[in-house]
Amino acid sequence: MYLLYFDPSIGAMIVQAIVAAVAGVVLFSKNLMFKIKSFLGLIKNDENDVFDDIDIENRDLENKNSSDS
Amino acid sequence: MTLKKAHPSSFRDPSGYVFLDNNSIKRVIKPVYFKQYYALRDSGFYKKLFANKLLIHHEELSVSESEIVVKPEYIPFITYPYEWSFNQYKEAALLTLKLQKFSLEHGYSLKDASAFNITFYKGAAIFIDTLSFDFYKDNYPWRGYKQFISHFLAPLLLARYHGAQSLKLLSEYIDGIPIKMLSSMLPFRSKLNPTIYTNVHLLAKFEDRHSEDYKGNTKVKPLSKSGQLKIIKSLYDFIKKLKLKEYTEWGNYYNKINYSDRAFDLKANVIDKWISKLKPDTIIDIGGNDGTFIRGISYELKQSLVCDLDNNAVDYNYLQVKKNKETHITPFVLDVLNPSAAIGFNNKERSSFLERIKVFNPDVTLALALIHHITLSGNVTFSMSAQFFSSFSKCLIIEFPKKNDSWVQRLLNSKAEFKDHFSFYTIENFEMAFAAYFQILEKQEIEGTERVMFLLKRIADV
Repeated sequence: MYLLYFDPSIGAMIVQAIVAAVAGVVLFSKNLMFKIKSFLGLIKNDENDVFDDIDIENRDLENKNSSDS
Repeated sequence: MTLKKAHPSSFRDPSGYVFLDNNSIKRVIKPVYFKQYYALRDSGFYKKLFANKLLIHHEELSVSESEIVVKPEYIPFITYPYEWSFNQYKEAALLTLKLQKFSLEHGYSLKDASAFNITFYKGAAIFIDTLSFDFYKDNYPWRGYKQFISHFLAPLLLARYHGAQSLKLLSEYIDGIPIKMLSSMLPFRSKLNPTIYTNVHLLAKFEDRHSEDYKGNTKVKPLSKSGQLKIIKSLYDFIKKLKLKEYTEWGNYYNKINYSDRAFDLKANVIDKWISKLKPDTIIDIGGNDGTFIRGISYELKQSLVCDLDNNAVDYNYLQVKKNKETHITPFVLDVLNPSAAIGFNNKERSSFLERIKVFNPDVTLALALIHHITLSGNVTFSMSAQFFSSFSKCLIIEFPKKNDSWVQRLLNSKAEFKDHFSFYTIENFEMAFAAYFQILEKQEIEGTERVMFLLKRIADV
């Protein structure tokens, strides 16, 4: 059940199907470019990048737990 | 059931509310959210987020049929979105997307994506709305999507195209920047970017098209989970790469500050000496630039707030916090001449800077190289400044640049024929005005400069 305490805007609920389709194409082409660039050795690591990847690292957790036990 | 008075910021979500109990924050969960709460608790979902420091930790205090009470870890000072620097804003946006992806993968979904669900604590962005997670409904699009765009993507994009001042817009638009307005404010070339085009311009069109549907005839278009994840991932990649035009490299910032090394060291020594004598736990550095002087203090502080008007200085400070993994420094953007106001319903939903700093009640306030700006640029009298500082400072370390100081001269010269109006700018008048609120404990000239350091103690506390 959803608690409808704010309006998500119906337009925004419909448009997401198109946004997702375009995002799929963007991600696919970026991925392809990344593969080509790394094949040619053109990928540089940005040292100033302080932000992590989108995935939450579960491995750290598992390691911590296993060392505790 | 005991009656608890909900915090004025906590009324929108019927799942529960937050209330103040003496000096701690507690959260009541109502039966309507029990199912979600038990699932999140028992599946280890909350635990995983606690361990990764993505959600504020809470402990369960009591469970009854009518309510569950949890006690979240107390955050001594909450900063709001309109007080974040560009990279802080970015981190908050990325955290929201990260949480939504994690939620989707575990069968949940963020039911809202308000920027006010996040604040900064122990050197990182942290999610503070424990009840924002709901069950994911198959093939249902993200309800928080529009809110995410108007609360996060909008200010970041406007900052990218029009400068960091745009990050303050949420203080006017508490419910997020209107999408139509955002779309109209972005340059034409932004339409050529597929991510901006779909998430802003197309969204604005769809909103417009369906805005007349009062009967609710329009059906929500289904969206697969993998489709939703694609939106999340592409927004994450896009925001992660977003940069301000105003600077190219972080490192350049430091070189722009023109202190003479010796005077700088002398000043830092005086501050360090006084602080180690005062032994404070908490401090606020107003106009603290990139936090240089706070980092020069050898005494171990528990919580330091460093605010500055300049987004770049705050951003540079924040980057150092992240790189050095400093957990006690909270940088934020603040204009002393116009501190954040109280906004929202009843003017109470988000409290003003003064209200928050009075609750924080810092042991020491630093005001270095600030008074000449307040007085000469802001036309604020000494007496007004003294009253302002005394409203929240038990101890005040303040630097007074005398009239012959080059900065003071520069500020005075910019006043042209109005210059004589500032004849009151003397150290005697300064001391006299501050003596009405403070006792002077120490006074020390910085050798080789036109600057004097004062250590003041509020008379009310003497």
